[in-house]
Amino acid sequence: MREDMTERGHIMEKVHMDREQYPELLRKISSPPETLYCIGELSCLSERCVAVVGSRKATPYGRNVAFRLGKRLAESGVTVVSGMAEGIDAEAHRGALEAGGRTIAVLGCGPDICYPKTNRELKDRIEREGLIISQFRPGTEPRPYHFPLRNRIISGISEAVVVVEAGMSSGSLITAESAAEQGRDVYAVPGNINSLSSAGTNRLIKDGALPLVTVDDILWDMKIGSKAEETGSQSLGEDEMELYGLLRKHGEMTIDEICDMLLEPAEKVNVLVTLMEMKGIVFTGLGRVFISV
Amino acid sequence: MNSKVNTGALRGIDGYLVTVEADVSRGLPASNIVGLGGAAVKESIERIKAAVENSEFQYPLKRVVLNLIPADVRKEGSHYDLPMAVAVLMAAEQVRPADGMRDSALFGELTLAGEVTGIRGALPLVLCAVERGAKNIIVPEDNMGELDLIKGSNIFPVKTLRQAAEIIEGKEGAVAGQGGRKNQGGKEGTEGNDIEEPEDFKDIKGHENIKRAMVISAAGGHGILMVGTPGSGKTMLARRMPTIMPPMSYDEKIQVTKLYSVAGLLAEGKSIVEERPFRAPHHSITVPALVGGGRVPAPGEISLAHCGVLFLDEFTEFDKKVLDSIREPLEEGMIAVARKAGRVVFPSRVVLIAAANPCKCGYLGDPVRKCTCTQGEIASYAGRFSGPILDRIDMHIRVGSVKYEEIGSRGGTSSEMMKSAVMRARAVQERRYTGSRLYFNSQLSGKLLEEHCALDGKGERFMKDVYEKTPLSLRGYHRMLKVARTIADIEGEEGIRVEHLMEAFQYRMLKEYERKR
Repeated sequence: MREDMTERGHIMEKVHMDREQYPELLRKISSPPETLYCIGELSCLSERCVAVVGSRKATPYGRNVAFRLGKRLAESGVTVVSGMAEGIDAEAHRGALEAGGRTIAVLGCGPDICYPKTNRELKDRIEREGLIISQFRPGTEPRPYHFPLRNRIISGISEAVVVVEAGMSSGSLITAESAAEQGRDVYAVPGNINSLSSAGTNRLIKDGALPLVTVDDILWDMKIGSKAEETGSQSLGEDEMELYGLLRKHGEMTIDEICDMLLEPAEKVNVLVTLMEMKGIVFTGLGRVFISV
Repeated sequence: MNSKVNTGALRGIDGYLVTVEADVSRGLPASNIVGLGGAAVKESIERIKAAVENSEFQYPLKRVVLNLIPADVRKEGSHYDLPMAVAVLMAAEQVRPADGMRDSALFGELTLAGEVTGIRGALPLVLCAVERGAKNIIVPEDNMGELDLIKGSNIFPVKTLRQAAEIIEGKEGAVAGQGGRKNQGGKEGTEGNDIEEPEDFKDIKGHENIKRAMVISAAGGHGILMVGTPGSGKTMLARRMPTIMPPMSYDEKIQVTKLYSVAGLLAEGKSIVEERPFRAPHHSITVPALVGGGRVPAPGEISLAHCGVLFLDEFTEFDKKVLDSIREPLEEGMIAVARKAGRVVFPSRVVLIAAANPCKCGYLGDPVRKCTCTQGEIASYAGRFSGPILDRIDMHIRVGSVKYEEIGSRGGTSSEMMKSAVMRARAVQERRYTGSRLYFNSQLSGKLLEEHCALDGKGERFMKDVYEKTPLSLRGYHRMLKVARTIADIEGEEGIRVEHLMEAFQYRMLKEYERKR
């Protein structure tokens, strides 16, 4: 056992399989890694973990669900595990950090290396407030064949895996597969059947994954009482309620579609959307309006 | 013997007076032109000789000197042929000007056969002659169309040098009726281009949001960036922009016609420009072609779009330098081009419409087709909408594709309805900016911005909230205020209300290109 300083001043620790901190769940999978290289709060490993994964190229819907899921799980005391990739992974970590909860990032490279580079800030934050782990020695560059190995660890340390958004050829499907092999619960977030970004997750549901219909589903199944109530449609005006209801029904809509449904001119609808956006009830992106609570 | 006639020269889109002097004296037969004539002017002596001989006059077998006054400014163009030929004939006493015809101004190019052909820049040249008090002006008949609007002088269209000489001599019958202007046929020419079906916004259904944005854009002169997948109708929308702008005033028509006249772009037989211009340069355009330039400065596309619409399709494909070059003319409403031949100013008050795909493959965010770009490609594409450029376009709108079922569903708002909203707001702005150099809300800045975009308590609180919660830059903040000002003008409100700000908020920088927390 040797302690090491990383370039950025964080302490790196090696956790060998026979140490107490080595996660119990991971020890039981077939051929677990002998050593985990860790930076951050080792106690994260002893908490109940749930993995939230998905594709790098995510839609606003996917990002939003990942963020909410990460936040919700962390609020309820669950450690959020993901792969620190762009898109869904990063959003899940951010959600957990936003709630002030715990999160573990499992890397496909040495724990001292930031991949992708754009997540520098996120990695720094996880090092301070969560935990970075990797089975690869410090200094190991990311390689394509590392990622399936990493995915085994993500599912290995988690009780359940949620795939938020995945195309037909997404790496998250590999995570789901290894999770199933390891006997973990696999949840998939259902998506629009026209959306190719949800083709993989919808297929998972068809193949027997549990559909995640509300964010709290998973907490129920883990028998964790939700500590925070879902903030819902409090203090909304009549027209706000109407728009909220529409969005609940349709999921996502363009301003034009809302105009058509409410039979209101664009100027009215834009005011309404801004009003609700500032309240944090909806958000806009790619020309569409989404529900955010 | 010597003689004098008037003509003109162009500087930018304005003319100035040039006098042609001719002197015929004894000596070996030779002809010289002095007074800094350009290449076309130097060559004109050969055209003049042939034209004179072919018009039943004799070119004098004497020493001929032609002088162009002022002698220190370079003169370009071919419209000196006719005045020089007439000056020579007057000096040789083959043409004797009638009373009152001595201060005539002449413009025209000659063919060897003695015919007079059309010239570039006829409108500004003739306007200048009128302003300088020329009572009788002789112009090529080909240019009569664009001179329809000029009042206060006798304008004589001619087809041949012979006709021009007869008018100078005061012979009637050379033109039909006293006071010339026999060419009233110009009208037919203008109607010629109306054959194509008029475009109207009501043909476009299910795009109510962008249509509202275009009303605001046209009303306040706000630039607008449309981002949408290929085939979502961006070009279709942009093309209809002129249909919701108020008709051009007399001054605007004159200015635009002058620009087109100078650029040599007036279609043959077509008179003044009546419709607001719509210019859509290709993205391979160079800086001088866009903002104006050349050895002899000529107006660029941004000036040719003056009073109308400049449409930049495939906005992200334009060279960065090119996009930077339009910043100043957009803000100032004019562009100064400095060249060796002098510094000229071209007007450039346009409504900018930019259109772009959301990503490299074009399908990011499309509900049906899958975007095939990698995350890296999307990021680098987003980089092309770099802050400085986005910051200078007031409104950003995402255009969704029109679905087929929407065609023929709820009736779309028509151009007529949109135009009335635009006119309302323009009238308010006209009143507000009388006596200042401003024209549009979009030109507001500094003190005037503070003065005209003052907020009430509610508005202040909202803007503070926005500033804290979203990655809005200071420029973006000002843009929002200006757009809200225009919305208030459309709604006929004195002050900006919080609803106007809220609406403006939806036309801000596109979220997907904003930097992450």
